[in-house]
Amino acid sequence: MQDWCKKRPHEWHKYINQEVRVTAHDKNEYQGWVFTVDPVSGSVVLVTLHGQQSTSVRVVMGHAVRDVEVLKEGDEEIAQQLNALFMPAGSQVLTNDELKRRKEDLRLWLEKNRIPVTEEEDTLRVANVLTVSPPYGSGDCSSSNEIILARVQSLIESYPGPDKEQ
Amino acid sequence: MKTPVSVSRLPRGPDPNSRGFDPSSPRYIALCHTTGTDAVHVEEEQRLRTELRERFLRSLILMSNKEVYFSMYERVQVQAKFGASDIDILNFQVSDLQTPLGVQKEAILRCQDIISYSFDL
Repeated sequence: MQDWCKKRPHEWHKYINQEVRVTAHDKNEYQGWVFTVDPVSGSVVLVTLHGQQSTSVRVVMGHAVRDVEVLKEGDEEIAQQLNALFMPAGSQVLTNDELKRRKEDLRLWLEKNRIPVTEEEDTLRVANVLTVSPPYGSGDCSSSNEIILARVQSLIESYPGPDKEQ
Repeated sequence: MKTPVSVSRLPRGPDPNSRGFDPSSPRYIALCHTTGTDAVHVEEEQRLRTELRERFLRSLILMSNKEVYFSMYERVQVQAKFGASDIDILNFQVSDLQTPLGVQKEAILRCQDIISYSFDL
């Protein structure tokens, strides 16, 4: 296979979730499930799944790839396993309704603590010097005023939750 | 007279004036030139490129602070704790690099010298 690095993104993309055998310049062969191919360096990220015990990742640098042979097509289960390894379930995606509710809850909490807050589309504007963006956590505040930033952040962190409010 | 110790220089850093996204920069031209002139193809190619790159960056995140085994050219095998990579994946910053000559506390590995690397999850 000539010019692995010169392939187009759509050609690399086809290898995702497939089991391949990569032959490198040192004549070694590496086998595994393709998680991705870096479009900048052409490096192939291979995962060997050994069940619960051991999983290892091997990356073959793009410039060292001699040949890539597809051994098996992956299925939905493999794709999910690979995703779960690299993209932990902790990072949740909130729906629009949930985001709206979080914004409203936060706005009421700030008002309860006598902090002037106005809504500006998706963001909350606090005392005209601080903005809170979705998903309205303490890490989503931005301001040029350190003191107000610290105060609002600790306030958000001490938010007891919507249940206690009722 | 003793021969002076050679000073090793760090590789030159990125151009401070741009992040490499300037379409006329040599890096952009070399790495990101797209085939197909119509907007639909360019957009689709960019979307795929983004997905591939994001997944690769996540693999780098997963690797940080882990013990990584590097297979280099000339049958050299070293291991080190991975620190960071540069944007072009040309240099890796590592700590406690175990080499046949001893342990280097901090080092930069040129990716051009690496054939493959591996780590356990």
